[in-house]
Amino acid sequence: MSEKVRAKVKDLLDSGRIKGFLGLRQADGHLGPHLFTDGRELDALAVGDLKRPGDTRYPLNKQLLTLMRCDPDDSFGVLVRGCDERGLKTLITWNQVDPAKVVAVGIACPPELAAACECLKPYPDEFVDGGKVEGSTFASVATVDALDLHSRLTHWLHEFSKCVKCYGCRDICPMCFCKECSLEQEDLIHTGDLPPENPIFHLTRAVHMAGRCIDCGLCNEACPADIPLRTLYKKVAEIIAQEFDYRPGYVEPGEKPPLNILGEAPEH
Amino acid sequence: MDYRTVLTTCAYCGCGCSLYLEVLDGRVIHTFPCKTGPVNEGKLCVKGWNIHEFIHSPKRLTRPLLRQNGTLVEVSWDEALDFTARRLREIKEAHGSDSLAFLSSAKITNEENYLIQKFARAAVGTNNVDHCARL
Amino acid sequence: MTNSIAELEDADCIFVIGSNTTSSHPLVATRIFRAKEKGARLVVADPRQIQLALKADLYVRQNLGTDVALLNGIMNVILTRNWHAQSFIDERTEGFDEFRKVIAGYPPERVAELTGVAASDIIQIAEWYAKAKAASIVYCMGITQHTTGVDNVKSLANLAMLTGQIGRESTGVNPLRGQNNVQGACDMGGLPNVYPAYQAVTIPDIQKKFQNAWAATTLSDKVGLTIPGMLSGLAQGSVRALYVVGENPMVSDPDVSHVKKALQKAELLVVQDIFLTPTAELAHVVLPGTSFAEKDGTFSNTERRVQRVRKAIEPLGNARPDWEIIMEVSTRFGYPMHYGSPAEIMEEIARVTPSYGGITFDRLDGPGLCWPCPDKEHPGTKFLHKGRFSRGKGLFHAIDYKPPAEIVDAEYPFWLTTGRVHVHYHTGTMTRNSPSLHAEMPEGHLEIHPEDAHRLTVRQGDRVRVISRRGEITAKVSLTTRVDRGVVFMPFHFVECCANILTNPAHDPIAKIPEYKVCAVQIEKAA
Repeated sequence: MSEKVRAKVKDLLDSGRIKGFLGLRQADGHLGPHLFTDGRELDALAVGDLKRPGDTRYPLNKQLLTLMRCDPDDSFGVLVRGCDERGLKTLITWNQVDPAKVVAVGIACPPELAAACECLKPYPDEFVDGGKVEGSTFASVATVDALDLHSRLTHWLHEFSKCVKCYGCRDICPMCFCKECSLEQEDLIHTGDLPPENPIFHLTRAVHMAGRCIDCGLCNEACPADIPLRTLYKKVAEIIAQEFDYRPGYVEPGEKPPLNILGEAPEH
Repeated sequence: MDYRTVLTTCAYCGCGCSLYLEVLDGRVIHTFPCKTGPVNEGKLCVKGWNIHEFIHSPKRLTRPLLRQNGTLVEVSWDEALDFTARRLREIKEAHGSDSLAFLSSAKITNEENYLIQKFARAAVGTNNVDHCARL
Repeated sequence: MTNSIAELEDADCIFVIGSNTTSSHPLVATRIFRAKEKGARLVVADPRQIQLALKADLYVRQNLGTDVALLNGIMNVILTRNWHAQSFIDERTEGFDEFRKVIAGYPPERVAELTGVAASDIIQIAEWYAKAKAASIVYCMGITQHTTGVDNVKSLANLAMLTGQIGRESTGVNPLRGQNNVQGACDMGGLPNVYPAYQAVTIPDIQKKFQNAWAATTLSDKVGLTIPGMLSGLAQGSVRALYVVGENPMVSDPDVSHVKKALQKAELLVVQDIFLTPTAELAHVVLPGTSFAEKDGTFSNTERRVQRVRKAIEPLGNARPDWEIIMEVSTRFGYPMHYGSPAEIMEEIARVTPSYGGITFDRLDGPGLCWPCPDKEHPGTKFLHKGRFSRGKGLFHAIDYKPPAEIVDAEYPFWLTTGRVHVHYHTGTMTRNSPSLHAEMPEGHLEIHPEDAHRLTVRQGDRVRVISRRGEITAKVSLTTRVDRGVVFMPFHFVECCANILTNPAHDPIAKIPEYKVCAVQIEKAA
C-alpha cells in the first residue's frame, strides 16, 4: 500500500507544498512515527499494521499539533485513516488546526482493521490507496448493553479497578489538547497510591470526551490494564448521537459539539 | 526546526519498555510507547509516559565540581579528571588496591558498567565493585 | 526471570509473592491481568493488601518475614497429598530426602500460627499451584529484602522443582528486577565476586583469561567488598576512596545516619551522576554524566533482554557520557582506554562474556536479544532450564523458618515495612524532578491502619514521629486498611521523610541484602 502514498508524499515535498510529512517509517527494526522532510528518505516510509490490526497506529495528529504550534507559518502533511481524518476535522472545529496548513494523505483501512475497530467509516473522504470497506456497528457496546444493570456496573467497576493510573488514555489521545486537565484537579480526583478512586477517574474522562472522541481507539491500545475504553467511549458517542444527532468528525469542520454550545445562564 | 522521534528503552524499572522520545530542536518534549515493543506493546506506565520530564530539569549537573575550601565549585573537565585520576593513584600507592572501592550502577548502560569494573579490576587491581542490586 | 514477561499471560496459575506489581512493574501486571482474563488463577501473598490483591482469586496476608514458613507449609501440603511431581524430582533434582524431612515439620496448622494465614488458604494455594498445567511464580523485593532473603528465594525454587513448574513455557521462578539495568550491571560484573557473565574471580583459569583480554599486569583473586563492607571499611579506615557512579547510598541504604558518617570519612569520594544527589553533596569531586537520552548503549531488562539505548539529544551543557568519563579517568590513571563508541565496547564484552557472545549492536534492532546468546547465529533464549538446570541437577535446599532480625516489643510495638509507589522510583532522583510525577505524590507518608491511628489519636494528614533504634523521622499519616493492625508502611523515595533512617541494616548472610522489609518502630503524634 505504501507505493501510492510514497509517490503522493514525494510530490508534496518536492513541490514545496509541505515542509514535512508526518507518517510512519521503518527504522531500528520497528515501524514508528517520523517526520519526513526530504523526498529522498521516502524509501523507509510505510503505512503500518504488521501483525495485528492497529499494531502500528500512532497519534500522528497529536504530533502534528506540536509541529504546528512550534512552526505556525509552514504547512505539513499527515498520514490519515478514517479515524485520523475525523480527528483533523474535529481539531479544526476546536480551532487547534489551521486547515490551510495541513495536507492529509488518506488511506482506507483493510477489512481486518475496520472490523477490529468496529469503525463506522473506515476510510477518509479522499484516499490515495486501499479499498473502501463498509463500516460496522458497535457490537462491543451491544454486548455490554445486553447485560442487566447490576452486571453492567460490576463489569465496569471490575475493569476500572485494574487501572494503574498511567494517564496513557489521555496522553495518547489526539483529541486531548487542554492546557489544564480535569483529571489533575485534586478536588475532583484524589492523587495518592493505587488503585485510583473508582469510578470517578474514568467517568470524568468519558464525560469530557463526549462530543470530542473520534473513536480511533488509541486509548484502548495504550491501556496497560486492557480496560475496554473504546467501548466506553463508543457508548458515550452513541448517547450523544441519539440525543443530539451529532458525531464528532462525521460532521463538517466548524459544527460545534452540542455540549459546548453555551446557552443562557439558568435562572435561579 | 529539527524534529525527530528517537526509539530507545525506558530507564526506570526492569520491564524494559520500548519508547519513542519526541525531540524538538534538541529538547525532548514528549514520550510515546512503541507499538511493537516486545515487552510493552504500545503501553507505558505513568513513569514511562513522563520520562522526558527529568531530562531537562534545571537541577541537572552540567559542569564538573571540585571541593575547594569545603565547598563544591565549578572546574574544567581537565582539572576534575586529573584530580580524580591523581588522587585514585596516590591512594592506591599509599594504601594498596583494596583501599579503593567502586559502585557501578543499575542506571547506566551495560557498556558503562563493563568499563567501570574493568577499570577497578584491571587498572586499580581490586574486586571492590558492587552496585545497588540489593537495594 | 527464568521465563519471559509475555509468557506469563498463558500461565494458568500465577503466584505473586512480595511484588507490588501494578506499582513497581506495571507492564508485568498487564500480563497478569491478561492471564486472569484467560482464566488463570491468581494467588497473591503480601503483608499489604496491594492493588493486585483486590483482583486475586485468593489473597493471603502473611506476617512480615514469615515467607519461608508459608512456603514450607504449602510444600508440606503438596507432599502429604501427593501433588508433587515425582518423575521431575527423580530425573532433574537432588537433595530431596533431606528437604522432605524439614518440610515434614510444617503442617498447615503450625504454619497458620506462624504466618497468620489460615490453614485452609495454605491448602488451597498448594492445590492450585501444584495442579496447574503451567504455574508461574512472580516475586520481587518483598522476598529478597530480608535477613532470610536467600532462604526465601531458595524456598520458591524448592516449590517450583517440587511440582515441576519450571523449565517449560509459562512456568518458572520470576524475580522482577527493580531497576532498568540491574540485570545488566550484574551481567557485566558489577559485583565483588565475579567478572562479566558471573565468572568467578577466584578461579585461576578465568582470572588468566581476563588478565590476557585486558592486558592487565595482575588481577586480584580476592573477592571484593559489597556495599555494606565498603561502608564499614570506610568507617574503619581500611577503605580510603570510593568512586560512585549513578548511585545514591545516602537515600537508598539502610541506616542512613551511619552511611553519612562512613562517606564523610572517605579521603576521596568521587560521584559521577546527573543530579547533585545527597551523596554527591558529600563528594570531593563531582563528574556530570548524562541521562539515557544523551548516549548510545544497551540495557538488559528483567527477562534478560538486551535492548538498545539510542542517543536522542546532545549532552546537556558540559556533561559527558559516562563511558567517556570512565575512559578519561582510566587513561589519566595510567591504564589507557580508547573506544570509539559503545558499539565497540560491546564487541569486547561479547569476546569475554559467553552469554553475550553473539550480541552486537546491529543484531539489536527490533526486539533485541535475550541472553544466553552465545554466538552470532544464536536467536537468544526465551526461558531457562529447559531439560537441564545450569548446575546440572536442581538442588533442593532444606530450609527452616527463621524470624526477622528485629521483632516488635513493648518499646517498639509497630512493624515497619517499606516499598515503592507507582509514581516514584528508587531515591526519587529522576521522578521527583519530573513535575507530573511530583504533582501526583509530592511528599512521603506513613500508611497506618485506622484503628491504630485512632488509638494514637491521629487523623488523616496528621504528622507523627516514627522512631526506630537507628533514628527518627516525622511523616504525614495516611489511614488505610491496606496495612494490617500493628503494621505500618512507608515509601522510601523521599529524602526529607527518609524511611531508611529507620530501617535495619541487618542483612542476609550470603546476599548481604538489608532487611528493608521488616523493622520495629514506635509512633507518636507529632507536637
